[in-house]
Amino acid sequence: MQDFIYQTGWGAFSILLLFQIPFILGFFYIVFRRSRPNVQLNDVSESSISRAKNGWMALVVISFLIVNLASIQYIPAVYTANAAAVEQNVVDVSVKAESWSYDFSEQEFNVGQAVRFNANAVDTVHGFAIYHPNGHVIFTMMLVPGVGPSSLIHTFKEPGTYKVRCLEYCGAAHHDMNDEIIVAQSSS
Amino acid sequence: MQFATTLVERTPIFGRMFKIDTSTGLEEISAWPALMMMASFIWLTIAILLGISMPLTQILELDSSLFYTAITAHGAAMAFPFMFQLMAAVGIHRAAGCIGSPVTGFLPAAFFWCMNIGGALLSVAVLSGLKISYAVMFPLPIVGVETGQWDMWHVILGFTGIAGVLISVILIYPVLTIKMLFFDRPREDLILSPRTLRDPGMLGMAMAAFVLLIMGTPLIIVASAVLLALYGILPMAWITWATDPMVFQFVFYIFAHNLMEAMAIMVVSAVYATLPLYLADGTRKLYSDRLANLALWILLLTSVTSFFHHFFTMFPALPAALSYHGNIMSWGTGVGAALTIFTVSATIWKHGIRMEPGLMAVLMGFTLYIMDGVSAIITSNVAWSFQLHGTMWQAGHTMAVLIAMSFMWIGVFIHHYPVMTGRQINIRLGNWFVALFTIAAMGLDWSFLAAGAAGMPRRFAAWNQEGWLMYGYLILLFGIILAISFFLLAACFRKSRDLAEVTAAAPAE
Repeated sequence: MQDFIYQTGWGAFSILLLFQIPFILGFFYIVFRRSRPNVQLNDVSESSISRAKNGWMALVVISFLIVNLASIQYIPAVYTANAAAVEQNVVDVSVKAESWSYDFSEQEFNVGQAVRFNANAVDTVHGFAIYHPNGHVIFTMMLVPGVGPSSLIHTFKEPGTYKVRCLEYCGAAHHDMNDEIIVAQSSS
Repeated sequence: MQFATTLVERTPIFGRMFKIDTSTGLEEISAWPALMMMASFIWLTIAILLGISMPLTQILELDSSLFYTAITAHGAAMAFPFMFQLMAAVGIHRAAGCIGSPVTGFLPAAFFWCMNIGGALLSVAVLSGLKISYAVMFPLPIVGVETGQWDMWHVILGFTGIAGVLISVILIYPVLTIKMLFFDRPREDLILSPRTLRDPGMLGMAMAAFVLLIMGTPLIIVASAVLLALYGILPMAWITWATDPMVFQFVFYIFAHNLMEAMAIMVVSAVYATLPLYLADGTRKLYSDRLANLALWILLLTSVTSFFHHFFTMFPALPAALSYHGNIMSWGTGVGAALTIFTVSATIWKHGIRMEPGLMAVLMGFTLYIMDGVSAIITSNVAWSFQLHGTMWQAGHTMAVLIAMSFMWIGVFIHHYPVMTGRQINIRLGNWFVALFTIAAMGLDWSFLAAGAAGMPRRFAAWNQEGWLMYGYLILLFGIILAISFFLLAACFRKSRDLAEVTAAAPAE
């Protein structure tokens, strides 16, 4: 469940609705109920509003903390550092992005293999996004020329053909800037 | 001033909507804002056509260059000549009426000309070939010349236009606002509703002006250096510090991010000022000014350094510590927003409201603004950013925040409309505008965000894959509803009636 929430766009969308829908319903209720011409306005005590304020702010702060603390293990800096410490054989792959193609040092990997992608942009700002065969974004990196490589370690869990796309607008053929990575079932 | 009044009167179609009431002696605070409003609506009309053309070029499988032209021109027209000019017009008019300062002289005229000539030059450059997106994507403008995508004269023309827009946003508007708030001597005859800087409805105006001036100045320096080199006044070798992509990206986003935050602070401030005027029990006070001001301070302090969220996916070029800082500050803005939600809700619950189109536009715009805030903080979580950055999620966030703020400003403008024009809008059409706009904006927001969740890239002229075109149809549908709502808004201004006529008819109604 946590993997779905923090590792897919639809997980993010679910949390979005979890915050948005109660707000919309609650706020619309307040607006439309209190705009009725015959509404009784002297039925609100200061203490009840004050209690509501404290409860509301506590709810907001606690939910913000839960959502962010639970995300820590999914932050690339964190899992990259963990993988670098644990994995014995991290495969280093260099990727050069130039309008409008990628140049990989290696494009075929095995399931379970930890791969460190070091990606550079040569000419202008590019993106390096790897898509799961089912279509969701596994991760994306922004590559700015003249800066050191964007880098993280990823371990592929499923075999298949993974699409690579540029997600930073880079000119007339930006939409054609793509490539593929092949992940095979490990033989061992 | 007389020039502004005359230009509004003589402009076909739009002039009728914004014609100034010269009989009240308030022309000094109304003329330039009315002209800016009219200009922003002309830009809006252009932006709507370009906006609808984007999904159309994809659905009809037209040439990709049309899509990239439309997206660049649409973004540029929406963000600055429409949205910022609308905000500046209503904001300046509001400030002038609250502190009794005339909007006359060099500064409002300079703002109007720099913004609109700048916008026009940029549009000409884009329509004739410069396709750099509204975010400029530096060094793409130069790389595009080197790779034959466009010519250097496109870049020079486009950058000249951008310079005009930036000067109006970063220098002229803040200086004008600061001058009005801190240096002008108040004139009793121009004060409509007196306010001080302790009032949350005015505090946000001052905060926004300082944020724009301070956060935008580095971009002005860098962009000026680049422009002078493009003109051949400075050798390129002298400005390598400014053309470093990382330098440009940082100064651009420090400004662009804080521009949006400043506009948000200002519009929240406008909500605080407008809501009390429509309370059912006639109280004319927020639930708590202290809480309202606290929310503004939290928004200000957290938003300034939350801009790091634009660079999370550059790890490790952006150190992890700055990512974590950006994450925490971004969610900190949510705490300020939560306080604002509470203050607005408690005010309505305690005092009730009169449901009129202006206030309803403000409140529905506020709803959209909070909805967008949720999408913004989610993509500002470092872990989620690596799935969502560069997708339609972020296009949706940018679009939704602009739409929400424009909705709130239009609501405030509807409130100001009788003072500015001496006329009352058509209430029935105004209600229809609010209803349709709300539906369209929510539909567009969710369509974009769902497309982003599905991995659809933003600024990407190949929607016909992975089932993404479904989102294109939804975007087109809600885009058309949004366009209809703006048509109704224009109709409600055109069918406005003189206040004297409305007052005379009131007893019979």
